[in-house]
Amino acid sequence: MNETDILTGVLLDDEALTLDDFARACAVEPDWVVRHVQAGALGGVHEVQIASWRFRSADLRRARALLAIERDFDANEELAALVADLVDEVRRLRTRLHVLGLPPD
Amino acid sequence: MEFKDYYASLGVEKTASPEDIKKAYRKLVRKYHPDVSKEPDADAKTKELNEAYDVLGDPEKRAAYDELGRGHRPGQQFRPPPDWGDFEYAGGMDSDIFADLFAHLGRGQRRGGGGFQMRGEDIHAAMSIGLRDAYQGTTRTISLRVPARDENGRVAMQERTLNVTVPKGVTPGQQLRLAGQGQPGSAGPGDLYLEIQFAPDPRFRVEGHHVYETVPVAPWEAALGGEIEVSTPSGAVSVNVPAGSQSGRKLRLKGRGIPGQPPGDLYLLLEVVLPPATTDQARALYQTMAREMPFNPRQGERP
Repeated sequence: MNETDILTGVLLDDEALTLDDFARACAVEPDWVVRHVQAGALGGVHEVQIASWRFRSADLRRARALLAIERDFDANEELAALVADLVDEVRRLRTRLHVLGLPPD
Repeated sequence: MEFKDYYASLGVEKTASPEDIKKAYRKLVRKYHPDVSKEPDADAKTKELNEAYDVLGDPEKRAAYDELGRGHRPGQQFRPPPDWGDFEYAGGMDSDIFADLFAHLGRGQRRGGGGFQMRGEDIHAAMSIGLRDAYQGTTRTISLRVPARDENGRVAMQERTLNVTVPKGVTPGQQLRLAGQGQPGSAGPGDLYLEIQFAPDPRFRVEGHHVYETVPVAPWEAALGGEIEVSTPSGAVSVNVPAGSQSGRKLRLKGRGIPGQPPGDLYLLLEVVLPPATTDQARALYQTMAREMPFNPRQGERP
């Protein structure tokens, strides 16, 4: 490969991942993904047919966060989802404070 | 390269049991979790902890690390033994390659041999851009250290430089997928995922595709209203400040946030700034206002 080539990537929000690609990107078995979607821990999927499930940027970030919590703490999957929810909420609130020009503490 | 003391990173003895190592790691990884920690170096510390635990938490990697560590003190320069796998060391190594050594060793031992066809692993990395890059699109150069096979089939860690096009309209947290730019594998390379992060900007703040900007205004501009010139990420614009504005008033410039379908909005947060009363003339003007304008900002407050 020529290292001076300019590479053009694709945003996951423009071209979403299939279940298999998404599972590979998370380095998990597709079963892990299916289980977490069905438990409501991973969102953004409304299709009934698993084959038509698609995953975007926010799903990838979320799945990797869940995996890190489950792995680092041998965490129960429901608890990991709750922790991820709380972390997301803290981030959302911190961003709110920041855009309104308020200090984080 | 420098020998890293992973036991010290986790604050455990070299004789610690796997259970103690796990406990120490969990305690510290919670303490330094970047989302909750107040420690200034939380990110770097978390990386160090993960690196240490990745090796010490795996019996095979720990054994290899202990083997390597015999006769080496922390910080000391060392060369890995020549019989260590099929590693070839390229020049210009930094300390992170120390971690890669074990990452790769573990993989090789678990999956090596047998002729099993395996696609290379996907790589995840983050890329920081400026807000203006999101408005206009840009090309960024990033460096990755990845194992690569030379013509003799040996694996060496190589620094790879990539020029990546960042499309116009990206927002924080979006993932850019570069097909085939991940780790090499016998059944083809994996993909590279780049998470878009925005570098902090002194003037503009971003939430999704909306952008916020604080705009200082003089008391008369806020009170009487009028046109002011504001510099925005997409250039200078003339904005009409409504009469009777106060500090904190939000003006929305529709579609002037990050471009897209639909584009975000730009919010101007007005901040009334008082002129200093440092000259006789300024003081006289304030005194005139105090005398001639009936105004009590605390009216309605209970005593």
